[in-house]
Amino acid sequence: MRKIEVTLENVREEIQSFYEYNKWHFLTINGVALADNILEVQWIFSKYEAMDEVIIFFAHAKYADLIPSVADIIPSAIISQRELVDMFGVVVEGSEKGLYLDEDSLQAPLSGCRI
Amino acid sequence: MSKKTINIPIGSQHIALLEPVRFKFECENEKIITVDSDVGFVHRGIERACTTKFKFDGIGYVVARVCGLCAITHSLSYTVAIEKLLGTEISVKAKYLRILLLELDRIHSHMLCLSHTCESAGFEAMFMRIMGDRELVMEIQELLTGNRIQFDYISIGGVNRDLSSEIAQKIRQNLYEVKQRALGYREEFTNNWSLSLKFKGIGALSLDDAYRFNAIGPLARASGLHVDVRNEINYLPFSEVGFVMQTHKAGDINARNLIRLDEIQNSIKMCENIVNGLPEGDIFTKPKGKPNGEALVRFEAPRGELMYYVKGNATAMLERVRIKTPTFSSIPAFSHIFVGEDYADVPAILASFDPCLSCTAK
Repeated sequence: MRKIEVTLENVREEIQSFYEYNKWHFLTINGVALADNILEVQWIFSKYEAMDEVIIFFAHAKYADLIPSVADIIPSAIISQRELVDMFGVVVEGSEKGLYLDEDSLQAPLSGCRI
Repeated sequence: MSKKTINIPIGSQHIALLEPVRFKFECENEKIITVDSDVGFVHRGIERACTTKFKFDGIGYVVARVCGLCAITHSLSYTVAIEKLLGTEISVKAKYLRILLLELDRIHSHMLCLSHTCESAGFEAMFMRIMGDRELVMEIQELLTGNRIQFDYISIGGVNRDLSSEIAQKIRQNLYEVKQRALGYREEFTNNWSLSLKFKGIGALSLDDAYRFNAIGPLARASGLHVDVRNEINYLPFSEVGFVMQTHKAGDINARNLIRLDEIQNSIKMCENIVNGLPEGDIFTKPKGKPNGEALVRFEAPRGELMYYVKGNATAMLERVRIKTPTFSSIPAFSHIFVGEDYADVPAILASFDPCLSCTAK
């Protein structure tokens, strides 16, 4: 597992230049709540037919930051983005809230700060 | 003049659905033109529970409850992630026994999917036949683990039960039966018009779209995409026990059925090799310490790639457990496949996806 640090400003550019859809398999987007109300957002990929070759692009964000969408580069990313919105209470460009949680559910259950 | 469209929902409770999911289809006459899906009806907050309610050494049994059908893959993925963080090396025998149960689980899960495909084709007799034969596998699983499904067989450091010679003999007998009967299914799925002609060309996913939508599991392999996590990991010795990746090209319902039939035969062969060549040794190595750092583990569940990301901080409570299930990542591909198909084919297409919403919503 190799981790590459990016920023919210350049993540789209980095992923666009890295991602070849028939070489890299997009696994998912993950969030990890860190201290001081920081969220680590991870975009995870594995290489087709390679032995355990996993690459994680990660960026640190504040909960109020707008997370850029990569759904135009990777169409299947939309569902992971919607999960991130529900679980962490962040805003991801073009990703609706309500994949898992109803309005009366505990909101942002995995975020470090309670909303 | 613009064409008139009609919206037809299916689910969250519907006779053609086995699980609570809702698809909203916008149709032009019989043709589906857009699809909207809602998969969040059974969200149980398991990821949050894993970091707030349970210590790391008990979570393997919690995540086994994510899904009844592929409980083994969940507990195995989590356990291997923890073993990586603890630096625990398990015995070769325990590794073989883990593969044995993983493949038994794949066999019965594929049989369940095939039976539902028959049911959606109106071939009730075949549905009953496969479900009846599936009991042979369930019986082995119960003998080996104590439970038919949701077995707590995997523990951090190995497995919880050894394989006795009596159980090994029963496994050989039952798998021989299943192998013969699965050859019979292949005859039916290839030559019976209800199961072959009816499903050829329906619900097809091209190879290019399988790449574009990151398809996984039998769905991807039926379209010719060479993706199977068993081929991409070395935590367990899959190649030593005879794993061979199965692929087809057509990408339709028929190809998905044939892939599952081929995988049943390959999994039976792997199980036979394990039972006949099981090494001597302990089944458990005592783990030491507390998990610290990050680990990412993938396994091939019956429906495709399952991923666990675990982050520990050298205490008994974990900081993060992320579960990415096969059906969850396949939803965009599912939605794409429906577009352009006839609404009447929805139940059969859906059954061929073998979706698991219990996993998806976790």
